Amino acid sequence: MNIAWKEIRKNKGRFLILGSIVFLVSLLTFIISGLANGLSQDNAALIKDLPNGQFYMSKDAEETYNLSKLDKDTQDKVLTKQKDAIAFSIQMGFLNDRTDKQHSVAFVTSTDTKLFPIVNKGEVVLDRSMEDDGIEIGDTFTNNQYSGELIVKDFIDQSKFSHAPVAYINTEDYQEMYRTSKMQLIFAPGEDSAEVPAELKAFSKEAFLNTIPSYKAEQMSLNMIVWFLVVISGMLFAIFFYMMNVQKMALYGILKAIGLKTSALFKMMWTQMAFITILSLLLSAGLSQIFNRLAPSGMPFHLTFETTIQLSLVFFIIGFIGATLSGMQIKKVEPLQAIQQGEI
Amino acid sequence: MNAFIIDGVRKTFMNGDVKEEILKGINLSLKEGEVTALVGASGSGKSTLLTIAAGLQPASNGKIIFNGNNMSTMNAEQVRKIRSSQFGFVFQFAHLVPFLTVEEQLMLMLDVSQSKRNKREQKGEINKILKLVEMNHRKNAYPGSLSGGEKQRVAIARAIIHQPKVLFADEPTASLDSNKSKEVMSLIQNLTKALNVTTLMVTHDEEMLIYADKIIKMSDGMILEHED
Ligand SMILES: Nc1ncnc2c1ncn2[C@@H]1O[C@H](COP(=O)(O)OP(=O)(O)OP(=O)(O)O)[C@@H](O)[C@H]1O
Ligand SMILES: [Mg+2]
Repeated sequence: MNIAWKEIRKNKGRFLILGSIVFLVSLLTFIISGLANGLSQDNAALIKDLPNGQFYMSKDAEETYNLSKLDKDTQDKVLTKQKDAIAFSIQMGFLNDRTDKQHSVAFVTSTDTKLFPIVNKGEVVLDRSMEDDGIEIGDTFTNNQYSGELIVKDFIDQSKFSHAPVAYINTEDYQEMYRTSKMQLIFAPGEDSAEVPAELKAFSKEAFLNTIPSYKAEQMSLNMIVWFLVVISGMLFAIFFYMMNVQKMALYGILKAIGLKTSALFKMMWTQMAFITILSLLLSAGLSQIFNRLAPSGMPFHLTFETTIQLSLVFFIIGFIGATLSGMQIKKVEPLQAIQQGEI
Repeated sequence: MNAFIIDGVRKTFMNGDVKEEILKGINLSLKEGEVTALVGASGSGKSTLLTIAAGLQPASNGKIIFNGNNMSTMNAEQVRKIRSSQFGFVFQFAHLVPFLTVEEQLMLMLDVSQSKRNKREQKGEINKILKLVEMNHRKNAYPGSLSGGEKQRVAIARAIIHQPKVLFADEPTASLDSNKSKEVMSLIQNLTKALNVTTLMVTHDEEMLIYADKIIKMSDGMILEHED
């Protein structure tokens, strides 16, 4: 007979409360984690959405991509050796629309590649968020350091850098705006295989992201928030399972007196814990995924399936440990105690 | 036949720093098909003796011999097995599992005692016992909705459903009124005879002694006299 299930059936209210705690706390964590991820995406989607690979910048730039200048020779050497590698540059700047309103953007230009859109001279490709601001294909922009006009050719999804939409421009236009003939960075997709020229320094994607000071600081705070939440929720779970077990000590004593083994009591507790946790996590994971779809486009919210599963797993393990630790008292319960305690 | 022998049992408790001897060498043999009543002043050690005999706590000294085996030398798991398959208990309170129906209480007991019967035989057995304790009409009720006497009758049904060899009862009628007490006592007496059970019962109530085959008086951790 499945006593774990029989108890849930009789004490629906009590288990519902426990389930809603797991549900609410995990939902909170999912949503906050989605917002944190969204912010991080807003800060560096341009880089994060690239495939895994190596970033190179000049050694004398002291790990600041803005100060990096690649010699044409060095650049060519790397690019010929690694066919799919690209050289690119990022600069924060402004686009002025016809009403002279300034739009803050991140200008990006690159050598020929499939990773970024290719833009002709006098054209610009913008992040989709600009479209929501009322900009349309065919609109023109000016820039203070640029003599001509830039005409909007297309929009592209999820291209953000430093919380600004990315504006892809032609390399010649870029060179005119920033008075430089040199690119800042090289990106080589795939595992690190080619040897790095002496004047360059290589970074993994994660390492490169961490050289961007604003990204690193923000990321640390966001990660802190999420992990604090996970730890505190875990403790909350453990405490609730503990309180539930404490309330049931007399019951465990009686079941022991009847002759149930301690292992059977643990199995009962684990079954209940797994049932409640899995059901609540499924609900909150589903709901946060729906929220992921429905979140207003202006709100940076990004919750991948993998993150949801990862967090759910962490919660499940924490719940399991919490329940098991609090269940240690079950081992100590003497049937005699329960009998002498009177009626439950 | 002497199915159950208590031989030289002593029990000491530490009361702070003071060692107190609660049982001072108890010798007793119980017969099959007999109700043995244990009486005596409060604090004389009756419950302590009963729970030791039932394997719910160990003796400090002495032997508990059941079926020729000394339980005092068994490990906890061996004692648990004997307790769940060969012994039945009734206490002052019914101690029913609150989230199981009357029928499920008995089902659980059959599961735990591993009486290897299939579901249908189990149901049949349960119906039989419930009729015996006149609780058949409440078999789908939860303990919360039963009266004290009804609970106690279910507790007795649970104590005997797995056909134990020994039945231990500690003031089984203490929470019942006089009429209900007599019902419960005659039930215990009848079951003892019908199933040839060895029954050891503690009671405070003089009225209940007519249901006993043998009366044992305890005082201050010792047995004063036997009465048949
Ligand atoms: N676990 C224990 N630790 C210390 N002392 C105990 C313990 N259990 C029982 N005692 C003591 O042993 C003595 C006998 O207790 P016991 O419960 O066996 O008495 P009793 O004859 O059943 O009394 P009553 O008729 O009131 O139920 C009491 O003085 C009690 O305080
Ligand atoms: Mg007592």
